[in-house]
Amino acid sequence: MPSPNAVLLLSFVLFSIGAAGVLVRRNVLVMLMSAELMLNAANIVLIAFARHSGTVAGQAFALLVMGFAAAEVAVGLALVVALYRKRDTVNADDLDLLKG
Amino acid sequence: MDALLASIGKNLFLVFGLLACGGSLAMVGSRSAVHSVLGFLFAMLNVAGCFLSLGAEFLGMAQILVYAGGIVVLFLFVVMLVELSRAKNRDQSVFAGQARAVLPVVLAGIAALAVVVKDAAFGAASPQALVLRPGIAEGLDVARNNAQAVSRGLFADYLLPFEVLSVILLVALVGAVALAKSERV
Amino acid sequence: MTPEHAAAQTLIGAASTPWGLLALAALLPAFGALVNGLNGLLFRRRTGTGFTGTTFVNAVALGSVGLAFLIILAGFVKLLGMPAEARSLHADLWTWFDLGGARVNGGLATMTMKWGYKLDPLSACMGLLVSGAGFLIHLFSTGYMADEQKDGRYWRFMTYLNLFVFSMLNLVLGSNMMMMFLGWEGVGLCSYLLIGFYFEKEFAAVAGKKAFVTNRIGDFGFVLGFALLFMLFGSVDFDTMMGLVRGVSAAPSITILGHTASPTFWFNLAGCCLFLGACGKSAQIPLYVWLPDAMAGPTPVSALIHAATMVTSGLYMIARLNFIFVQAPLASDVVLVVGSLTALVAASMGTAQYDIKKVLAYSTVSQLGFMFMGMGAMSYTAGMFHVFTHAFFKAALFLGSGSVIMACHHEQDMRNMGGLRKAMPITFASMGLATLAINGIFPFSGFFSKDEILWKVFERWYHHGAYDGGAFYLMCWLFGVIGAGFTAFYMTRLIVMTFFGDYRGAGDDPHGLTVPSEAHHDDHGAGHGDGHGDDHGHVHAAADHGHDGLGQDDHGRDSHGHGDHGHGPAEVPWNMWLPVAILAGLAVVGGFLNIPHSLHVLGGEHFSRFMEPLLYQAAAPHGGAHAVPAIEYALMVFANVWALGAMALAWWMYKVDPSWSRPKAFVARFPNLFRWVNAKYYVDEFYEAALIGPCKQLSAQLWAFDTWVVDGMVNGAARATLLWAEASAWFDAHVVDGLVNLVAWVLQQASLASKTLQSGRVHNYAFVMFLGFVAFAVWKLLA
Repeated sequence: MPSPNAVLLLSFVLFSIGAAGVLVRRNVLVMLMSAELMLNAANIVLIAFARHSGTVAGQAFALLVMGFAAAEVAVGLALVVALYRKRDTVNADDLDLLKG
Repeated sequence: MDALLASIGKNLFLVFGLLACGGSLAMVGSRSAVHSVLGFLFAMLNVAGCFLSLGAEFLGMAQILVYAGGIVVLFLFVVMLVELSRAKNRDQSVFAGQARAVLPVVLAGIAALAVVVKDAAFGAASPQALVLRPGIAEGLDVARNNAQAVSRGLFADYLLPFEVLSVILLVALVGAVALAKSERV
Repeated sequence: MTPEHAAAQTLIGAASTPWGLLALAALLPAFGALVNGLNGLLFRRRTGTGFTGTTFVNAVALGSVGLAFLIILAGFVKLLGMPAEARSLHADLWTWFDLGGARVNGGLATMTMKWGYKLDPLSACMGLLVSGAGFLIHLFSTGYMADEQKDGRYWRFMTYLNLFVFSMLNLVLGSNMMMMFLGWEGVGLCSYLLIGFYFEKEFAAVAGKKAFVTNRIGDFGFVLGFALLFMLFGSVDFDTMMGLVRGVSAAPSITILGHTASPTFWFNLAGCCLFLGACGKSAQIPLYVWLPDAMAGPTPVSALIHAATMVTSGLYMIARLNFIFVQAPLASDVVLVVGSLTALVAASMGTAQYDIKKVLAYSTVSQLGFMFMGMGAMSYTAGMFHVFTHAFFKAALFLGSGSVIMACHHEQDMRNMGGLRKAMPITFASMGLATLAINGIFPFSGFFSKDEILWKVFERWYHHGAYDGGAFYLMCWLFGVIGAGFTAFYMTRLIVMTFFGDYRGAGDDPHGLTVPSEAHHDDHGAGHGDGHGDDHGHVHAAADHGHDGLGQDDHGRDSHGHGDHGHGPAEVPWNMWLPVAILAGLAVVGGFLNIPHSLHVLGGEHFSRFMEPLLYQAAAPHGGAHAVPAIEYALMVFANVWALGAMALAWWMYKVDPSWSRPKAFVARFPNLFRWVNAKYYVDEFYEAALIGPCKQLSAQLWAFDTWVVDGMVNGAARATLLWAEASAWFDAHVVDGLVNLVAWVLQQASLASKTLQSGRVHNYAFVMFLGFVAFAVWKLLA
């Protein structure tokens, strides 16, 4: 068993990479993938703590999170496709409808 | 050599984790969206390896099925739909000017938090197996039958969230179809 | 799995012999349906010619069902060679699904739902019946549906029939309730598809929907009962449940879903729920209304599904779960009362119908009522035995009626038939024998089975000479006896109207009995199924006569839309009369399988003893050697005299006087009685008025409520708001605006400064969000 510290650090790094991806990349697809990565980092912690606390709840939750991630990707990709149809772009910088 | 192999075996989690980090870096850093997806796939497979080394066999398999089997394929389809039809690649610079300013901030935050987390102490090493509450563990070798253990935990205590999830998936499915279907209809 | 379960399962596992061929029997018809269905779908245009033509369709359909029959027959022979208590073969194909764990009575149950089949005395008999009768009816269909071969939907019919046989075999051979449920729903679907086979005709489509919806009501009960049983036993495997039932029924009390009650209570509840399911599938009061309408389907379908096999699935289910019903006295009494009421009411309806298939349909409902009486009296072998004899004679009658209908150019009204005895001697002989059997005349099969049921019901009151069984059983017995009398009457009436006298179909109608035929109009319209005999009874026959007479004078024999069908009826081809003859032969001799002990011939009760190991013995049977009471013989004689009397009455009314003046006089005397019976006591109309109408009305009310009240409120609110807005506009314009403009000016200046924050770029927002998250995390970690 890896120590909880190692798990936390690893998942932290993964989460940070994901966050950085969301922040710096302009490609909406890559942003979506990065969001997925963040969810997975959270899943690793959930599973590690399930093991640590000796209950199955964490694993059950990780499974639920996985389901939500799938739903998110489905809707997200559908949005990307719709966006591409309408605006002919997948670049987040081209989307400034919210501009004040 | 044997010693190296043994230490890798002991630290499988870290090996997988580092590979996952590498994959995710490739994902964020590559210019081509297809390469990004491949990096993502690599990261997801290694995360599955992490799950396995944490003793969550069922979730590891589910991770491979859901991500490698489903989500990555979806991403690839969309990438092909969106990117390959473009003659030129518009995402010229990966770390654009604005991000160049952001990046140090993020890295500093990571460093600061890493210091804090390192100091947070945890108790003894984790137990070797999952525990189910006695009511639902009857007649089951929890350490060996991970899938059944998870399913019992899920269906005994988290049935409602599970059902809600299924409804959400359905809604997402319908929503995705409604969003992505062509306007001509 | 509790240790109890494990013990029960090992016990059963040891007693059953694996026999892989069994699965093939059930799957062959599915294979046939697949081949024919795909073949039809892919090569639809070429159907009727060459390799994909009807020969191929016939070979696949008949071959698969025939092979299945042979396999089950082999299994049956194998069973006969085994010791009585070990007569069980099974074939577990694969794990259908695995139930990780569920909280049931007595702890956590894990169950592996097998896709498995099981052959024991009960399912072997039912399997033989389903595949054997199914084969004969397939054979009959090759002749009856010959017209369909031209318009390219013959393959569809055969596919449905095969699918039906597959579902039905699943139902009877399945080794657990889930398999049974699969078959249960499958036969419901096939019934729907086949009733609506001529879906371009509205009445057929409506009848199909009616059957489907009515069956869903029953299935609701079935599912509830199924769930209750699972909660009681932690398993739905028949053998396991049977092994556990003693333990469960011995428990002082059982708590399910927070409600604590005695085991008997739960058994009663489960029994009643399951019986609701049986009511739907086996057409009992109050859910019988779909069966007469189901006659809109092709006649072989009526014979196969709505007389011989599918409608008996409810009875099979009760016989299979006899260990539940034995423990559920209240549920059994409900079964008995509903069965006897159905037997009586449906039989009385049969006496006043003119459509030959409708008569048989009500007869089926009534006979099913008899079977349920046997079940309700806890005499499961008697009920099941009637299932078999009834399957023989009713299938023969239905197929015979199909031949008659075809010979009369798709005429179904018996008033337009008559005199077919000479034209169709084989069909006449077969149907005549089957009629004697259904009437319960000694020594035809119906006598043995029906008399056995009535005797068992009577015995509940008689109680070995004590006469203390509750008047309620006596009443049920009386209902049954009267129903049997009606049966003998209407069946004789059917035979006389169809086969005796002179043929009235070709305009030859000296007594003015025919009615305008609906068979020859291509645009049948909606009235065909339901309103056939309703609107023109004998009272109107005179008017019809006048019309017919005129038609004759003007156009001679072939007037009146008969067109090219002018020739008289003739015997049907061999592939149609042969099945009828075989079934009729079985109907004659079938009764000897279960001769009552009291008659002291041939050892007696082979069928009952064959079934015995499957029946749950609640208490030690009261010494098999008890003396046969004289009253049993008296009742046997009485039953024969009674049935013969009813037959003689029908003969006297319809044959002795060919102008039918006696029934006409009867109708003239009691016009309302006739009207009510002919209209099936207006039950359909009652359902329409009391259930379907209110539902529609409620939805209309809701719609109206929505339109008037909800929309009205919205509109009213809009109007009120408008008025208020007018009033405040003035105040607003003069007083508030001044202040607002001031504030706005201030805010505008301030917002110009902060406007740059809202860049519209996703990344800026995401970054701010991230910063907030980091700040929060730092605060949490440091605090």
